Amino acid sequence: MGQLVQRQGSNWDAALAAAAVAAAPQQYLTFTLGGEMFAVAILNVKEIIEFGSLTEIPMTPPFIRGVINLRGAVVPVIDLACRFGGRAAEVARRTCIVIVELEEDEQKHDIGVMVDAVSEVLEIARADIEPPPTFGARIRADFISGMGKINGKFVIILNVAKALSASEIALLTTMGDPDAPNEGEP
Amino acid sequence: MDELTSVFIQESREQLAEMEAGLLVLEQAPDDPGNAELINGIFRAAHTVKGASGVIECHFIESFMHKVENVLDRLRNAEIGVSGELASLLLKCGDHLNTLIGVLEAGFDSPGEADRAIGDALLAELSARYIAPDTNGSKVPVAQQEEVLASGGGIVVTDSWHISVRFGRDVLRGGMDPLSFLRYLASLGEILAIETISDAMPSADTMDPESCYLGFEIRLQTRSSKADIERVFDFVREDCELRILPPNSKLADYLKLIEELPEDDMRLGEILVRCGALTQAELDAGLCEQKGFVPAAPAEHGEIAQSAQQIGEILVDNKVVHREVVDAAVGKQTRVSEKKAVEARLIRVQADKLDQLIDLVGEMVIAGASANLLARRSGRSELVESTSVLSRLVESIRDAALQLRMVQIGETFSRFNRVVRDVSKEIGKEIDLVIEGAETELDKSVVEKIGDPLMHLVRNAIDHGIEPTATRLQNGKDCRGRIGLNAYHDSGSVVIEVSDDGGGLPKEKIRRKALERGLIQPEQVLGDQDIINLIFEPGFSTAEQVTNISGRGVGMDVVRRNIQSLRGSIDVKSEEGSGTSFIIRLPLTLAIIDGFLVGIGHAAYVIPLDMVVECIELDRRGIDRNFLNLRGEVLPFIRLRELFALADAAPPRENVVVVQYAGQKAGIVVDQLMGEFQTVIKPLSSIFSRLHGIGGSTILGTGEVALILDVQALVQRAIRIEEKALASPPASSN
Repeated sequence: MGQLVQRQGSNWDAALAAAAVAAAPQQYLTFTLGGEMFAVAILNVKEIIEFGSLTEIPMTPPFIRGVINLRGAVVPVIDLACRFGGRAAEVARRTCIVIVELEEDEQKHDIGVMVDAVSEVLEIARADIEPPPTFGARIRADFISGMGKINGKFVIILNVAKALSASEIALLTTMGDPDAPNEGEP
Repeated sequence: MDELTSVFIQESREQLAEMEAGLLVLEQAPDDPGNAELINGIFRAAHTVKGASGVIECHFIESFMHKVENVLDRLRNAEIGVSGELASLLLKCGDHLNTLIGVLEAGFDSPGEADRAIGDALLAELSARYIAPDTNGSKVPVAQQEEVLASGGGIVVTDSWHISVRFGRDVLRGGMDPLSFLRYLASLGEILAIETISDAMPSADTMDPESCYLGFEIRLQTRSSKADIERVFDFVREDCELRILPPNSKLADYLKLIEELPEDDMRLGEILVRCGALTQAELDAGLCEQKGFVPAAPAEHGEIAQSAQQIGEILVDNKVVHREVVDAAVGKQTRVSEKKAVEARLIRVQADKLDQLIDLVGEMVIAGASANLLARRSGRSELVESTSVLSRLVESIRDAALQLRMVQIGETFSRFNRVVRDVSKEIGKEIDLVIEGAETELDKSVVEKIGDPLMHLVRNAIDHGIEPTATRLQNGKDCRGRIGLNAYHDSGSVVIEVSDDGGGLPKEKIRRKALERGLIQPEQVLGDQDIINLIFEPGFSTAEQVTNISGRGVGMDVVRRNIQSLRGSIDVKSEEGSGTSFIIRLPLTLAIIDGFLVGIGHAAYVIPLDMVVECIELDRRGIDRNFLNLRGEVLPFIRLRELFALADAAPPRENVVVVQYAGQKAGIVVDQLMGEFQTVIKPLSSIFSRLHGIGGSTILGTGEVALILDVQALVQRAIRIEEKALASPPASSN
């Protein structure tokens, strides 16, 4: 698993490096989550939809809100605020689901991310991106790919490949599963 | 790679599999008199590969198969005898052919040095032992043949081909010279005798000098195949009547030839005698009999097979030839036309086109459900009626579409013949593979994915299951071990059993190993079945020495995971001393199932309908334990509301869905029963790959997502929860 994540991380870095070579400022989608501003690279974002009817999945950790029907495909929805250790997000008027496409184990899959509100698409130059702080962000450091400077403020640019890693989330779903310990030891 | 080549690769692999299957049977029972047809089948397969490789101009396969075919041809003509060694050698040739096909598939022009060396070595061995002229070839005429000869000359003893050709009237006008064909024919071998048939020549005044009236009866000695001889006449194939009888053809074939040709029977007979194809005695005997029993046997072309059968039956009645020989002969004649018919009945379709169709049908089912729902809401009876007709049709289309993907499991099973043969030889055990239920059908995607787990189980059975011969004899067992592969349908799922009659799983050893690996604690008390189930734990392997067949310790947990990913389950039953059997339960299809929709709170869930036995209302009186009395039977049940930890309170009325799986019954308590529902299975994201109890999802007519319950996993979960709750204070088991 650790190996896997690492490999994905390096893919991600490679992608970033490639972008840097292109020397063009990258576009980011910014959104708010629990009052804080976050950004994700726009290349990962497939679409943004209104928060609608959602089917809860029993026996899963609370940060998995459920699944939605996205034009015939069943897509899981993650509550990022809850994933980062906060409280479950309340559904409000501006709550949206950002559909993110990820590639893991050479398989593409879509994940919905529940956010409080979507703000705008911004260009952030490479020079304006600082490395993530080693601590203090109250978010696991490997979830952050960098800190973007916008109007003198920092926004957290998320490393979605890690924050939404399917294999890691799958592991987390086994917590509280009475069968789970049986996987390793009976 | 062009389409022709890819079709060739696929077809050759199929032919190769056929060849291999035949050779394996041959190797097992080289002396079986029924082998003639088998050898023919093998020859045909090899010949098809050779021919097709010529068409796509893949010369390295063509030249290799040419040699192999020569040996098979000799085998077919009983010039060499069947032996286990020959079959083994031919099997190796089959393997090499597979390598060559792989080379072609990879896009190389010729095989690598090493592969070529292997091929040359095989060919050298083949030619040295089986093609060498007149060595031991003549010494092994099949016993059956001798018998027949003794009983009246059913087979005409000649080592040469008989070719009978009548050129059409327009051959000369088409610019063809009959003589050039004969010259070319002579290049294939030696023409022993030739008779010109000029009976069709009219009197001089009505003769047209530009027409051809000639025919020839030819005896040819050659090593070429029938196809090669036919190819000589390729240019005039449309315009001539060509009949070719292979060496040692049956008398009946000659009689048929005589009968079919337009010339007078007696005269033609004489001609055949003159060119040495028949002896006078053979001819007399044959014609005489034929006249006596079928005075007016019609010899229309369309009835060839039929008339041949009649002659054949006479011969059989007279005990002149064996029934099999006649059947083979009749089969041979009808084969060509039949083969064409079979080809016409089958269409090759790309698998992804089928998948697309199934996807579309799935969408149609969902859309249909939504139309149905709206119609019912509108309350207009005509609309409801028409949508219900529509949904019935959709249901039939769904079934038909799914049927398209059903394939028999036999092909997967028969692969194991080879595996068992090779591996058991390698480790020096004698093992028979018994295959049952090969005609059981299941979804193609399931069949594809079940191969690897089955391979693992079979190899395990060979390596660990079956004891060494000495041990078997000591324990009073048959020295030959037996591995069984069985498939059958059972309440909406397919069951595949891999069983062996070996030593069974050694429980003490498993327990010891589990302790060593830290899988269990010394004070833990485990039932027999629990101990056996330990083999499914990751990193568990009991093989004391690691062999290259199995025992790398990645065994059974991978098998179990593969099967679970197919929404299936695996159980093991074992009795020490008498054997082990693995029982794999798989869903019939991965795409669409009939479901039973139930509601709990706001959410809807689907239970596979095949598992549902009945529904009853939950009688709350006096129930504080989770079981009820079902007509005198104790039925344990699960409260889904509790299991799913839903916050809202239960409604005043609850229902129990009684489900059955693998012979066990259980109840599932739900709020509402919402009836049958055609369920298109939408896979859940890989996020949920480790979530037990939810098998997948589907989309309801309203557009909402409903979850499909994995009943078996839910019951397991409930059992675990209860076990944990009862183990108080929590034992050190975990």
